[in-house]
Amino acid sequence: MARYAHPKAMSSSKPARTRTAPPQLPDQFPFEGRYRAYTLFDATGILYLMLGFLALGTIWSLGSGEEAWKGVQIIYRSWVYVAFHALSLAAVIFVGIRFFGFFPKAQPPRIGPLKPPPQPVILAMLYVAWIGVAGAMTVILAGGIF
Amino acid sequence: MRGLLLKLEPLIWLMFGQGLLIGTMLLTGWVLVAGLGVPLGVVPAEALSYERAHMLGSSPIGRVVLLGLIALPMWKGVHHIRHLCIDFGGAHRDAVVAPLLYLTASVGSLLAVVAVVRL
Amino acid sequence: MAEAVGKKTFVVTRFDPDRDEVPRQQAYEIPVQADWKVLDALNFIKDEVDASLSHRWSCRMAVCGSCGMMVNGEPRLSCKDPLSDYGDTVEIAPLANFPVIRDLVIEFEGFMEKLKSVKPWIIRAKELAAEDGPVNQKPSELEEFKQFSMCINCMLCYSACPVVANEPEFIGPAAIALGHRYSLDSRDEGAAERNEIFRGEGTVFSCSYANECSEVCPKNVDPAAAVNQAKFNAVIDWMTGLVIKRGGQG
Repeated sequence: MARYAHPKAMSSSKPARTRTAPPQLPDQFPFEGRYRAYTLFDATGILYLMLGFLALGTIWSLGSGEEAWKGVQIIYRSWVYVAFHALSLAAVIFVGIRFFGFFPKAQPPRIGPLKPPPQPVILAMLYVAWIGVAGAMTVILAGGIF
Repeated sequence: MRGLLLKLEPLIWLMFGQGLLIGTMLLTGWVLVAGLGVPLGVVPAEALSYERAHMLGSSPIGRVVLLGLIALPMWKGVHHIRHLCIDFGGAHRDAVVAPLLYLTASVGSLLAVVAVVRL
Repeated sequence: MAEAVGKKTFVVTRFDPDRDEVPRQQAYEIPVQADWKVLDALNFIKDEVDASLSHRWSCRMAVCGSCGMMVNGEPRLSCKDPLSDYGDTVEIAPLANFPVIRDLVIEFEGFMEKLKSVKPWIIRAKELAAEDGPVNQKPSELEEFKQFSMCINCMLCYSACPVVANEPEFIGPAAIALGHRYSLDSRDEGAAERNEIFRGEGTVFSCSYANECSEVCPKNVDPAAAVNQAKFNAVIDWMTGLVIKRGGQG
């Protein structure tokens, strides 16, 4: 069955000399082959937005006093919230791995006189930072220090 | 509207990029502990008691971290949702969808500032 | 002719604008040789079975970029892929995301316009005279852009890109890579001009990190790297433009 791209995809500003068939989407787009991971990557935006607003509500409650904070803690224990956060953790790790893998080659070869480190070094630095920040937050939030 | 979006695109992309980079790093620990560890009882509930949570959150570093934790994922989120809409044939709606999404992230970011200031 | 080693069926998308309302598929079962590429099969079909089949090809060695088409749903150079990579049935269609003139022949005028839009030439504030001698370039300076100069304009990247499919204004992988190639060239002084183009109507920021362009590129140009480096440069240029007036006045 035909699946069409945007009707003006790759069209010219000049009129075509003969009647053309409209552009078709790549067969495997959006849910097959490598496109599946790409579509999932975009779809994690939904989870990130929800996480942002959930964190907003949580910190708002923290600033509203102890009763409000206790209410949030109870809500977080519901299975819906736990399932959401489990899915979100998978999404965050997926996003990190995909984006950090991409990041090194996205750095220009030079900015003025400055050259970036070699790509494997950039990748290692990203993972060190990720583990460092996540590790520090985990330890601090879990009561390990402070 | 498209002209305005194009003018703001570098800034939007910067915020989206930081949402991907820093937002992902910040969210990992947050989701692990606040989202799963404490609710499942793996982390003692006292770790995020009101007193301790408030002490952590209201410190200068705590406020900055919380601001990043709330706002940056929103920008990553809305930008990717916009692309998702376009990918599913929504290019003709972009002039309406994109401003709505970025307005959502803008309002969320402003509220994030208020939320951390009032701690 | 060498002895055939078996048969394969080629399901080819056909479109005759004078006869067909919409594209249709036509199957051809033909004997195949062990060392054939997909292009050899198409040429056999045209020469021996159905002279009406139309397809572009030229060099037969993956340097001219003429023979791009969808092979089993993936954008490929038909002269590059051995038939032995494929099973008994091979589906062949024109490149995705392009208007189709006829059969496997796509309209690429839109692509040519996108290429031209990035000013793919050395831009100098002041042209040098012949008497000034050559502009020297170190090997390290060449290395910075060489990869992006290897593009053969085969358009496979455009066929794979989901943004090209849905946002007609997007400049696209090959054109951005080409513009970026020139902006990285030590002889060029036009990066600021191209950064404005990259922030304009065909904005590089439409790229959504699919990386499909680099996956399908037969020349390892890695256009995804070029596009995302171009984003970075466009942002730096935008930020410095907020502070410093164009023309170097502080």
